[in-house]
Amino acid sequence: MSPRVSGHGRTAARSRGPSCRAAWGAVGLALAWGGASCEVPNEASGVHGTPVHREVGAPRLALIDTEGRAFDLREETHGRVTLVFFGYTHCPDICPVHMATLSAAYSDVEPEVRDRIRVVFVSTDPERDTPQRLRAWLDGYHRSFVGARGALDEINGALAGLQLPGVAVIPSEHGEGAPNIGHPSAIVAFGPDGRARVRYPFGMRRADWLRDLPRLARER
Amino acid sequence: MQWWCVARTEAWSWQWQPLVGVWVVLAVLTVGYRRLRRSVEEEGGDVGPSWRPTAFGGGLFLLWVSLDWPLGPLGASYFASVHMAQYVAVGVAAPALLLIGLPDGAFRRIETRPRVLRILGALTHPLVAFSLFNGVMTVTHWPSVVEVLMRSQMGSFGLDVSWLVAGLVFWWPVVAPVPARTAFSPLAKIGYLALNAFLIRPPFAMMVFSADPIYRIYELAPPPAGDALDDQQLGGVIMKIGVAWVMFAGVVAVFLRWVRTEAAAAKGGGG
Repeated sequence: MSPRVSGHGRTAARSRGPSCRAAWGAVGLALAWGGASCEVPNEASGVHGTPVHREVGAPRLALIDTEGRAFDLREETHGRVTLVFFGYTHCPDICPVHMATLSAAYSDVEPEVRDRIRVVFVSTDPERDTPQRLRAWLDGYHRSFVGARGALDEINGALAGLQLPGVAVIPSEHGEGAPNIGHPSAIVAFGPDGRARVRYPFGMRRADWLRDLPRLARER
Repeated sequence: MQWWCVARTEAWSWQWQPLVGVWVVLAVLTVGYRRLRRSVEEEGGDVGPSWRPTAFGGGLFLLWVSLDWPLGPLGASYFASVHMAQYVAVGVAAPALLLIGLPDGAFRRIETRPRVLRILGALTHPLVAFSLFNGVMTVTHWPSVVEVLMRSQMGSFGLDVSWLVAGLVFWWPVVAPVPARTAFSPLAKIGYLALNAFLIRPPFAMMVFSADPIYRIYELAPPPAGDALDDQQLGGVIMKIGVAWVMFAGVVAVFLRWVRTEAAAAKGGGG
């Protein structure tokens, strides 16, 4: 399992021990609550993620995209809403789920909304995430998603600037096999002005993205 | 070591995991059945045809395959379609086989216990059984209920037990000869089963027609092998077709038994 080192990402619920009474009590509450979707947007902001109130801009981060072109995160996020996710393609849990829910909604929104929003995936495992592998992995979600790689120390500097935890390489159990990579579990949404607007923790569902993407596309 | 499967957030692994609760339940049912059958034999009661233990064993086999590893954890955490297949097995097919497998003498014993007979008479009245079966099916597939129950071992255990019990209550008036219900004729039984085969229940409609995945557990299960919405829709279809298939098998069985009974009566009357 990919370690979740982000304090900003909601940690998915873990299994609890036997608690029959609590479970059945909760059934009553759940029934009373009804509703197929349990998610409610943040009341103050109207979005499902956590609004970023401090002035945090997109970091200057020199990357190379999957086509081999230079990709500066600050310049590339300017003038367009950009969702940035720091993860890796071998991630067993957070990355594929986060990307699947986002891409499912991204494919479903109006083309005008898609045109206004760019998704950038920055690899936190540049050794294993070759450009070809990164491109193929992202194409499995959406062909327009941008993949980029860079030096880990620079990526860690950018993460610190965004107040996200840095990348941690964690050896696998018993020291055999590939290591796990600890990385932030949040997707950060930057406005067209390059300022971070919302952090989307792990646990965002397709329906949540479907409501938030058009809202983000209206950002000025 | 776990008692029952529970929704997990870890990526799926093919590493075997013991589910002690499943084995305990199966052991209790097996031992209970053997004792019941032996005591009926010792009393000189009717144990019925020789295929009865096979039917009961078939019910146990369905429970084991559906609830133990790997289908148990796959259905609890990763695939809505597997969860619905488990429902068809545990809540619909297995209860029918378990009841069919009981020796006739076991039912006859109930006739000598007026209090049990009274309670059973009320609980397994076709209208009550129909409502309970469909009520349990609807409630236990409601997304917010699934989300709460599947997160704890006891909640998940309670969910499966409620399926099994509701299934037993549903099949009782069709299979069990006691309490005697002359008004519930073979034709009425066929109607009862056919109605349940065709009925469109809210969980099926939600799963098949919802634009988004309705179960958080399966939508956020790593790794997403295929699309969560496709898996959910497949689950709805499995539930609908699976339940209908078992109900039609019941219709055929009731019809054949009816024909045999009528033929035997005609033969007896004619002789």
